[in-house]
Amino acid sequence: MTERLLIAYTLLTALATAALLGALCASELQARRRCGRDAVLGSRYLRILMLYLLSGEGPVPRFPMIRRAGARRLLAETVAGLTGVTYGLDTAPLRRVVSAYGLDRWLLGRVRRTFGCRRARNLMLLARMPLDGAVAARAARYVRSRNRRVRFQALMVQLAADPSAALRLMAEYPAPFSACEVGEILILLRRGMLPIAYGPLVESPCRNLRIVGLSIVRQFGIEEAEPQLLRIVAGDEVPELGREALYTLCALRRPLTRRRVSRRLAVMSSAERKALMRYMAAEGYSPGLLRRLFDARRERSYCESLVQSYKRSLA
Amino acid sequence: MHRILIVSEEEFLCDVIRLSLAGMRADVRCAPGVAAMERLSRRMLFDLVIVVGTSLFFSGRDVVRILRPPGLRKPLVYVVAWQQAEQSVLSLLECGVDQYLTFPVSLQRLRMKVANDLNRQL
Repeated sequence: MTERLLIAYTLLTALATAALLGALCASELQARRRCGRDAVLGSRYLRILMLYLLSGEGPVPRFPMIRRAGARRLLAETVAGLTGVTYGLDTAPLRRVVSAYGLDRWLLGRVRRTFGCRRARNLMLLARMPLDGAVAARAARYVRSRNRRVRFQALMVQLAADPSAALRLMAEYPAPFSACEVGEILILLRRGMLPIAYGPLVESPCRNLRIVGLSIVRQFGIEEAEPQLLRIVAGDEVPELGREALYTLCALRRPLTRRRVSRRLAVMSSAERKALMRYMAAEGYSPGLLRRLFDARRERSYCESLVQSYKRSLA
Repeated sequence: MHRILIVSEEEFLCDVIRLSLAGMRADVRCAPGVAAMERLSRRMLFDLVIVVGTSLFFSGRDVVRILRPPGLRKPLVYVVAWQQAEQSVLSLLECGVDQYLTFPVSLQRLRMKVANDLNRQL
């Protein structure tokens, strides 16, 4: 009896293992097939979209298999991918495609049903679509989300939908921008969707606006902003902003032998001074200037070794 | 007919650039990496090579030398990438790259630039 039970148990276990392995293989094959189909379909969607954009007129093209599972996401990713790497595209045909296939409403639905980084990803896709104010208003509530990525991508949706309110939206944003977030805002700016008026941003009392302003000055090499940068370097309100302004001056390769700069350097910690030294050496400042700015013996030997390690041929 | 090679590890970007050049009288080929680029450039002489991203230049191979046979100025080399830092752009130009464009790129501008440069070569 025990023997029979043992045989039956072994048989059942073997069958269950075989069934599980079979299911695993089937799901793997299906995933692989779907991946291959998505690649082919994505490439076809891009081709259709680009041809429609190049022609610029006519009825909205038909995208094959759009009713299949995952096809609408693929189309949304194609539109978002294209707008993410280009600027100056004609938005009218894109808007027609988005509204004909209801991509914005569909993405909003996905945003509502997902959480965490998936919600943030859906919001990111939504931010890259040509949007109207109603969709942006419905995404506005996610700006108060506890998840940092969701919060920021909701802001990006609003910025993309209404660039004229960019200053107000960034000033009202409830958290300080990280370097990555500022980078994303600058990409939006380089796509021509935000104004490049750095003046009001740098002069603003809001930390987020100032950081974005400083990044604009740094990225576009706006040397005219030097007096404003020196004023921020001299200011005592937020040390982080003073430091950022100093880095911006370095990026612009402006002369640093000024009293305001020396005063800022004096209040910086040893680690911050070392980081600045590394940045200055990489930017090509001469060892003579570094010696004048950093007078402690230990710092001086550190900066000399830095310049040598960067192998700069300084005339 | 002109010959254009697009070298990109990302298929999507390669497709975007290839499709933006559609309608030009050119034979456009794509290569997903240095090995494919080397193979193609040995087989035929291109008029223009568009390299997407800078990772190729960190592969340890002299990309521009692979593309340009000794004694020839051809092909023109464009790089389209995200980097903005002056030093990276300068080092690419010092490597022999002719044009550097940053993402996001205007497809119309890229197309016009390519068309002008190819016409100048004739």
